Amino acid sequence: MPAYAPESSDIGGRRQLGIAAGFVVLAILVSALPAPVQNTIAAGIRATFLRPFILTQEALTAARIRAIETEALQERVDSLLAVLTNQSMVVRENAELRATLGLRNRLGAEYRAADVVRPGTSGSESMFVVSLGERDGVQLNAPVLDHRGLVGVIREVRPTTAIGIDWTHPDFRASAMAWGIDAFGLLEPSREAFREADRLLLNGAPYNTELPEGTRILTSGLGGVYPRGIPIGVVRGTAEEEAGWRRSYWVEPSVHPGAVTHVLVRTNQLGGTDLTEYWDDQGRLIPITVDGDTVSGAGGGPATGPAGDAPGGAGDSTGGPGGTG
Amino acid sequence: MRKFVGLWGVVTLLVLLHFLLHVGFGIDRGAPDLLTVALLLAAREVTAGTAAGMGFFFGLLEDAFSVLAFGANTLAMTVIGALGAVTRDFFVGESWMFHFLYLVLGKWLRDALFWVLAGPEVRGPAVRTLLVQAPLAAVYAAAVGLVLLILSQVWRGAEA
Repeated sequence: MPAYAPESSDIGGRRQLGIAAGFVVLAILVSALPAPVQNTIAAGIRATFLRPFILTQEALTAARIRAIETEALQERVDSLLAVLTNQSMVVRENAELRATLGLRNRLGAEYRAADVVRPGTSGSESMFVVSLGERDGVQLNAPVLDHRGLVGVIREVRPTTAIGIDWTHPDFRASAMAWGIDAFGLLEPSREAFREADRLLLNGAPYNTELPEGTRILTSGLGGVYPRGIPIGVVRGTAEEEAGWRRSYWVEPSVHPGAVTHVLVRTNQLGGTDLTEYWDDQGRLIPITVDGDTVSGAGGGPATGPAGDAPGGAGDSTGGPGGTG
Repeated sequence: MRKFVGLWGVVTLLVLLHFLLHVGFGIDRGAPDLLTVALLLAAREVTAGTAAGMGFFFGLLEDAFSVLAFGANTLAMTVIGALGAVTRDFFVGESWMFHFLYLVLGKWLRDALFWVLAGPEVRGPAVRTLLVQAPLAAVYAAAVGLVLLILSQVWRGAEA
């Protein structure tokens, strides 16, 4: 073990303390920089020093996807189906990937499939990096979704990657509507003691229109960011009432961000597509055919409760309130 | 010369491992905070200015993924680097227990500083963060740091 000695001289020691104090002041200045400048610095560091590590994570994710998509592996999966049924994680991931790709086939070229990676560093909670960027047509505020519903929104676009926030981010907001009931409101995240328990709060719902537990909540399309009809979650009770004029409701989200590995990102912001018809009245992706196989939205979030009892009727894709798209 | 190469080799290895585990492999709290361990180990060997500069650079790297609290890691790591170097003037210890406690306290202080600087939108509840999560993370990081110190000691001892 080395013996530690103090600074060799007072002058040298004072000079070193001065340099250290200078760095502390510099760090305070960095904290106080305007957000665009901070973003530029962060993007520069990500594109240089941290680029190899981001590429590593993208490569690992891509390798996993390739392994799943390989035809030979698919044959082995089929032949080992009985074994794999006990390996729920692999089966579930496969089903989710197929469901996401199936949804993309239906939504068309406007939506592009992407891998999601999470930095996992301090302060990066509620953020994710998608493997598509400006060169792929991704724009600021592009919605991000998977086969279960809305995941989040893109907040920063780089040439080959983009950074998004999921619905747990404090800045997340979405204009929402209740399925089959003429009620609109604004969704915002509600952070709980444990992040796994985070949920959404539907604010501004009309007082005279009560939303029963289990009512499905969809994007309304009113804000111009999210297309109309993307599932967000299910009402799980009244949070607050303000006498005679409005109510707030707890909403259990359809998508748990930590479980998301593959998403769809909208690359064309001009259209006003209504996506209501792609999910059934219980929030499950309507079965479709991909490569000759029928796939559906397995593990489709919280819509396992009484959502089917919600007004609007099963399979009634026009049962929602009239939105503007 | 061998000591110099050993120190910077260990620091570089720890920084690379930190980002490989956290960013490359996407392991969140399952991986120890090797960046802080590297800073604390180096701070005992270099001058206060150099340690603060290292902390500033390491913090900027950590802040690259931080939107809501950009700069909090930078300031916390800069302060920790400077304090780590200054501790040599006050505490001289060679035992494993001293180094373990030094790493535990350093890592806990770094998390506490980040909690204070991060703001209410990012930080968790005070009791759970400062009295449960931060001490556990500090012990975890210190244990890994101690193992590295022992290995470094063995490597240097081979020279003698």
